[in-house]
Formats: sequence, structure tokens, C-alpha cells
Amino acid sequence: MDQIVEKPDTLIGAAFPKPDAPDKVVGKTTYINDMVLPRMLVAKIKRTDRVHAKILSVDISEAEKVPGIVAIATAENSPKGLIGVLKDNPPLKGDKVRCIRDEIAGVAGETEEAVNRALELIKVEYEDLPTVFDPEEALKEGAPLIHEDKPGNIGLTFDFEHGDVKKAEAESDVVLEEKYELHYVTHTCMGPGCVIADFDTHGKLTIYTQTQYPYNYKMDLAPALDIPAGDIRVIQPPTGGAFGSKLDVYPFEPIAVYLAKIARRPVKLFFSREEEFIASPTRQPARVYIKQGAKKDGTITFRDVQVYLNNGGYTSWGATIPAVMMRTMTGHFRIPNVEFHSVAPYTNNPFAGSFRGYGNVQATYVTATLMDKMAEELGMDPIEFRLKNAQEPGERTPQNSLLKNAALADCIKISAEKTDFLKKHAEYTEARKTPGRIRQGIGIATSVHNAGGAKIHKSDGCGTILTMDDYGRATVITGASEIGQGIDAVITQLVSEELGIPPSDVLIANDDSAIGPWDVGVHASRTTFIAGNSARNAAVKAKQQILAAAARQSNVSADKLELRGGHVVQKDNGVSVTKLDRLIRAMHFAGEDAELVMVSEYYEPPSELEDKNHVGDISAAYAHGAYITELEVDTLTGGVKLHKITAVQDVGKVINKLGIEGQMEGGIAQGIGYGLSEELIIEEGIVKNPNFRDYKVVTAPEMPEIECHFIEDDEETGPFGAKGISELPCIIPGASIANAVYNAIGVRFDNPPITPEKIVRALHGGKAEAAE
Amino acid sequence: MNTVENYIAPGSIEEAAAALAAGPVTIVAGGTDLMLQTGSGAIAYAKTLMNVRRIAEMQGVSIDGDTIRIGALTTITELKSDAIIAEHLPVVAEMADKFASDQIRNASTIGGNICNASPAGDGIVPLMMYGADVVLASAKGNRNVALSEFFTGPGKTVKADNELLVAIEIAKPAAGFKGGFGKFGPRPALEIAMASVALGGVVKDGVISNVSVAFGAVGPTPMMGAKTTALLEGKTLNEETISAAGEAASEEVTPIDDVRASAWYRRHLIRVMTEEILNDVG
Repeated sequence: MDQIVEKPDTLIGAAFPKPDAPDKVVGKTTYINDMVLPRMLVAKIKRTDRVHAKILSVDISEAEKVPGIVAIATAENSPKGLIGVLKDNPPLKGDKVRCIRDEIAGVAGETEEAVNRALELIKVEYEDLPTVFDPEEALKEGAPLIHEDKPGNIGLTFDFEHGDVKKAEAESDVVLEEKYELHYVTHTCMGPGCVIADFDTHGKLTIYTQTQYPYNYKMDLAPALDIPAGDIRVIQPPTGGAFGSKLDVYPFEPIAVYLAKIARRPVKLFFSREEEFIASPTRQPARVYIKQGAKKDGTITFRDVQVYLNNGGYTSWGATIPAVMMRTMTGHFRIPNVEFHSVAPYTNNPFAGSFRGYGNVQATYVTATLMDKMAEELGMDPIEFRLKNAQEPGERTPQNSLLKNAALADCIKISAEKTDFLKKHAEYTEARKTPGRIRQGIGIATSVHNAGGAKIHKSDGCGTILTMDDYGRATVITGASEIGQGIDAVITQLVSEELGIPPSDVLIANDDSAIGPWDVGVHASRTTFIAGNSARNAAVKAKQQILAAAARQSNVSADKLELRGGHVVQKDNGVSVTKLDRLIRAMHFAGEDAELVMVSEYYEPPSELEDKNHVGDISAAYAHGAYITELEVDTLTGGVKLHKITAVQDVGKVINKLGIEGQMEGGIAQGIGYGLSEELIIEEGIVKNPNFRDYKVVTAPEMPEIECHFIEDDEETGPFGAKGISELPCIIPGASIANAVYNAIGVRFDNPPITPEKIVRALHGGKAEAAE
Repeated sequence: MNTVENYIAPGSIEEAAAALAAGPVTIVAGGTDLMLQTGSGAIAYAKTLMNVRRIAEMQGVSIDGDTIRIGALTTITELKSDAIIAEHLPVVAEMADKFASDQIRNASTIGGNICNASPAGDGIVPLMMYGADVVLASAKGNRNVALSEFFTGPGKTVKADNELLVAIEIAKPAAGFKGGFGKFGPRPALEIAMASVALGGVVKDGVISNVSVAFGAVGPTPMMGAKTTALLEGKTLNEETISAAGEAASEEVTPIDDVRASAWYRRHLIRVMTEEILNDVG
């Protein structure tokens, strides 16, 4: 009797729970912070208390005497290699300190108490140096020099020109010139910084880390260690969040390695929460001067942008954000003439790294509020003005991003319709003329982001090795890291779908660089797209091998067969030809013809590197989003209450409904924090609020209703049509909030976060008495 | 960082007082402030850590004639739902609902909140407004101190090292006494006050009397609003009086600029909340 196997519902687009979620919910997950290795020492860092000073002496003699102290690393007894994007950061500082984070010594001991005692006993003598904290001040002649080999304090610069801005300005009917001050925020990962270093007797290093780029991490770490990159094995235990903060090597990692080397024992170095605020990278702050022009009919004529990025004492990814910022500044909406210039001067502030959204959070805050200002100046409504300048599918931006299936206009129209935007916007504007304590507001913001990887390295690829065992189960070894974002779920779905096996029969292995194939890392909203394509292609290869074997065995041609429900079935009638596990065993134990199902795939997206002029189609796809925020402002206290955020985003195709909604909501929470409440307050180089009491992350009661609308336009190069989605939700909300606050009270804030106090000052004066 | 060498958990005030008389002791009840402060190094543990939570005499709310007694170990959650508090001291219950979060309210005790002596301490402000005393016990006996005279500076009180705050005593408010508590911080929960106000009085035929006002987070200690009280006492509660009271309140507070808010904004909030409460009670 033939067995008929019904076609199961597709998993693509299903609400598929993350495989790691149950263990996390019940507290079973062993995060890196929980790990204990046999004979492991604990370690902490002695940091400076100065922001710019010569180090005259470091005395560890008393600290060494503390019972239980096993190793102390200082610049004197440690390798001299440098880390950071410009290799300007010695993990342990010997000559001078340049910001409040600076590391003087690492101490490893048997107990945390002993280590804390030893830290107190390390004596450092300094000679203070003149300081500079403002990026424009740092460029002035005679400003204190932060790095002796960086004249003028100039770090990274970016310059882009397209068309003729001067001519366009002369021909414009309206020109707006604005200054924005974008602030410091930090990632606030639930799991504070932690690393475990362990050498074997051959001198090879195993490092347990929270990194989100395990393969290039070795390349960045090795120069600081005086060992070859190939001698480093990277293990990635479950991590409590990254959001971009683990995309570089930071001093604490080599310091743990130095200590492990000295102690000849495993060393775990970890941050306190306060240290996490002070010493982990921030989002890059930015001062933006921008000019934009338009014709009377609403056609944008040009943008002219000058950005000062406070580089802080050392260079990590923060100073490179113009690479992303520029794409939005020059290419979000049709900008025929554009100039973009940025410079990242060294100062005595802490330094920034990468953070979800990269420079696009800042760029979108600027451009989306500027678009509103300009619409008002032109007497147009915010929707009409945007639609007038939105690109059509197939257009290219000045930097050559090909907007194949640009959904910008659709995003704008749908979000406006869903929220009855125009009616409310006009009504709330009108309501400002009559007295009243509580004001309603509605605001829109849009942005664009790479959604098919981002070629910033020579390869933007990801490798997959897929094997099937004798029981019909698939093991997928992927280069993609799971840092909580949900790639394990996505790959499980894609492979399960292709191989016709239940998701519970798919195992993902991706926590060991000695086993996994190369991947650039988790960044740029790339992992579903790149690793997803890689995993899916691998599954297709495995399927072809399996179907070929089934065809030989059954005398039905392979193109008439498919995998379904753990069987090989005839496509047309679902009749089972053989059970999958039985077939795989038959293939395996076939004597001289024996074969294992064991395939590999390296997927490289169809994208190009930028040339030296920053021109290049860096991503295989781009995605747009339009978010509308509805809120109310208490004009007496300045309190803002969010009612609803309607998020319309081009996602190509939903793969995991639960995952995508989770990422949208989480990103929106971060975006709200950026716009309304989060600020790492840094005064004269010192972090003033290194705690959750005074650093205001958004909590559950403040979260508004979130309504997501996914535009599914089936990206031809994406896995089952999917695009990367994860950064736009964090990028857009801040600007839409700013526009909604303006709609409510008629005040613009070009210096987020829009705190209650800023609102009250704007409405009730008091600026003269204000202490800044 | 000091290490704790002895841990004790006395079962009575007498035993606790004896331990305090014997030498330096760190007292722990809910631990919600202490754990953070010892963790950050802001305060050091004494060699003896004394957990007072087993002392039954320090628990619960009771009423004896015209005096309401709140045991120092009463948690904020208990204050939120206690029947005596709800009937006689509703502004304390209102405060408890705005205090931190459920988890913290379950652990925090009112005695601990007072002894922490934060200028922003939510629990203190309505009790001061109600004219509460604290009862301090030592091996030498008990003494009562007016809560309004208990604080000498941020984190500082008149309580001696050998004393234990065992209870809060409050005379039953006058018949018809009505009040409110206002607290502002940007978040609806888990928030330290940028400024807070407790205000109450008896309003009869539009005239307010028995006025009492206290402020939090606007000076080195929680403070009584003497000038605002004097301005309001016996006045008809109309728009003009309310506005004048708001102005008086914003003028008599002594806030500072810090990372949470400027002094200017704190004065503004005091004015807004004072007027808001008066509008509610009037």
C-alpha cells in the first residue's frame, strides 16, 4: 500500500519560536558570565581616574602582596601591539592616558575580593596634561595633542561630492541651514563585558568571548598578543546582547590574555555594570551642519553636509559611521547635488564603537526632521513633500546604490493611510492655537538601509557546512553567529523547508571558530540575507544529492521527486518512495559507492566595494521604512506619553513572524530611548550617569502599541525573497518622535534626547537661569 | 571594601539594641539601598551585619487611640494595601503606588527608606506631611524624634550609631483631612523623583485649614514647606490662592542642579505639582 505524505504547511513566514528561548526563560542558559573553567582565575582592570595625563609611575608592589593575587599585567610586562580600527590603542597604557576608560593594569587572582583589594593598592603617579573635549575645539591650532603621531588631532575623514551644490543653492527657492547635536548613548547589554582566556601547553589560545565577528576577530586580536592569528580559537558561549558593541577588539580582551599567559591558568575578566557604562563603546555622537534647498514646487535641489564626530581618545568603529551615514544623507530621497564631509578629531572623551543602525540613526534624525521643516517652509504637507522626492524603483543614488524595487513611496502612503496622518496632523497643528495642557502629536520619519549585506570587507560572504546523519537529521555548521538576534531560528526554518524535515531535526552549530567556516560577522542587517542564502544553498545541494540517490534507487527521475515530511516522495502525488533516514543509511552503507550527505557552500552576495570616492553598489538590496509615531505632551511637566508607533517596512519576505516582530519591537524600544530618554552624560570626559537609575532605558510601561506592516516584495536575491530588516526599527523612531513632538507643541529639538526638561524650557522659557 | 565577619539576626528590639551597644553594626532590612551602596563602595560594611527582619515588634501597622504606629519593617507593598493606612493616611498609600517597582516595593521597608535619608526618599515626604515621629530604640530606652527634624543632610540623620529606628508614629489626621502626593520622573515606574510634593489640609466651605506641606528632592533633605503652609492656612482655595501657593512652594525649596534635573526645572515641577494637588483637594 502506497504511503501518501501530505505537503506540510510552509515554515516560511511562520511564527517559529527561537530554539534558544526556552532555556533562557527558565534560567538554564550558561552565559559566558556564568562560565567557570577548572583552575580559573578572576580578573579586573585598574583604570585611570584622569582624562589626559602623562603616566609617571605605576607601582604594583603592594598589590602583588595581597594573598590570592596570581598575576598583574602592566604596559611594562605585556606585549606592545596595538588594537583598534586605526591601531592607535595600546591595551595597557604605559606613557599616557587619553580618556577616562584607560587601562593601567590587569589583575588576576583566586577571588574577586582579593582582586578588588589589589586594585586599590596599585599606585599611579600622573602629570596632568591640557584637555580638549569638543571636536571643533580639538581641530583648532594650539589644541592639546591627543596622539603625538596624529597632528591636528585628525582621525578619519570622509568626503563625497556629486553634482554642483553651489549652483544648486543659487537656483533654489528655499534653503534651510541647520545645526544638530547628536548625543552619546550606549548599548546597555544585559550581559556586561566578559572574556575568558586559556592557553594550552603548546601556547595556543582558546578565547571564550562575546564577539559578534569571530573570524576577523582573530586577525584584530593577534597583533596585540604577539601570537599568530591562526593560533587563536574563538568560542562564543551564549551572550547577553551585543547590538554592535562586540564588533571590535577592546582592551579588556588582550588584557585577559596577558594575564592567562603570565598565570598559566585560565583567566576570566569581567565588567561591573558601572564599568559596562563607562568602558564599553558608545554610539558615535555627531555634530551635523546641514543645508538643504528646494524649488517652490517641492523638488529638492541639494544637500550640503559637514559632520564633526567626537572621536574620543582612540579609534574604533564609531569614527567610521560616515560610511553608512553618508548613504542616507546623500541618497535618501532624490538629491541631485550633494556634498558630504566629515572629520573625527581626537579628544579626551571616551570613544564610540558600532551600534545597531550605525551612522544611520544619526543621519535619519537629521534628515527626517529636516524634511519636515522644509515641507512646512514650502507650505506643503509632510506626506506630499516626501512623495514628491521619493525615488522610483530602479533609480540609483549618487553613491550608486541601486534601488531595484524601492518601496519608499509605498511605505509613506501606507503608513499615512493606516494612521489617518494628514487629518490628525492638521487637526493637532490647529489645536496648538487654543489653550490646553495636554497636546496630541503625530509625526512621520523614513529611512533607507542596506538589506542585502554590506560589502565593507573584500568578502561579504558566509560559509555553511551541512551534514546529515544516519537518522535523517541535519547539522548545519554556519559561520553566522547567534547573539540573540534569532539567526538559529531562521536557518532552521530555511533548512527544514528545503529538506522536508521537521525543524526539531535541524541542529545549528556556530560557536567555535575551529569548526565553523568564515563569515564577516553579525552587522549591517546582513545575517538573514547572507547566512540565510548560504544555508539555503547548502540545503539545496544536499537535497540534490539525496534526490539523485533516491532516483537511482527508485527509477523515478530526480526532477519528479521531492523531500517532504521525512520522506522522498513523488512530486505529483505525494507517494513515498522511501523514508529519508533509510535512504541516507542506504547511501552511507553502499560498499564501494558509499557516500555521506555532507555539503559545503560559500555564499558571496552580488555587491561591490565602494571606490575611493565612496561610489559603489555595496549591497545586494536596500530596504525602506516609514514609521509614524502618535503621542501626547504634557506641556506643564514636559512628560511625553507615546500612544502608538505604526511601522511600515519593506522586508522582502517574512521568514520568521515571531522573530521579525521581536526585532522590530526591540529595535523600536532602542529607537525610542534614543529620541526621548537615553543619554550617556559625559562632562569633561567623565561619565556622569553610569547606572540604570540615571541612564534611562525605556521600560515596559512606556512602550506604546506597535503596529507592524510588512511590505513583501520578494527580493530576487534573498533567501525565499527575504531582506535584512534589523536596523531600521532602531533607526527611524527617534526622528518620528521628534516630528510628532513638533506637531504637538510647535517646538523643534535638534539635540535629542527630547527630555521633559528640554520641553519645559522651550515652552516656559527659563533659558537665562538654566545651568547647562 | 570591608568584609563582614559576623552575621546576627536578633529576634527582639532588646537583643538588637544590645548588639548595637556592643559595637559597630551594619543594619540590614530590605537591603534595596544597602546592597547597591555597599556594592558601589559608597558605604562600607561594619564587621557585624545585623538582619533585623526577624523582629516581630517592628512589623505591621496598628492603631492605638489617636496614634497610628507603622512598624519600621512594614514593606512599601504592605503600605500600599493596608486598611488602616488606606483609611487614615491615604497619601502614604498613594506614595506607595508610585514607589519604584513591584519587586522593590516587596523588599523595601519604610524604616529603611527613612534611614537611607535620601533627599528624594519617596516614603519620607508624605509621612513628614502627616507630622510623623520616628521611634528610636537603644539599650538606654526609646526616644521619639519628629521626622521633620530627623534629617541633617543627604544620607545623614540624628539617629546615633547605637540606635535602631523601630517604628513611625503619627497622630490621626483631623476629620476631613485630604491630601495628595505628586512625584515626577520621566518614567512611570522604576524612577527616582526629580521632585516630589505631599500636601494636605481640611477644606471646609472652600477654606483650607490644618495645612501641611512637605517636599522631596529639592534640598539636602526632604523638607517641610513652612511658607507655603502659612500662605495657605485659612485661605479660600481659589485660583488665585492656588497660584500663589505654587509660587511660594517653588520659591521656598532649595534644589540643586544635578545629572537628573536643573534647579530651575525642579522649582517648576514643585509649582506644577503643588497646584495640581490643591486643585484636586479643593
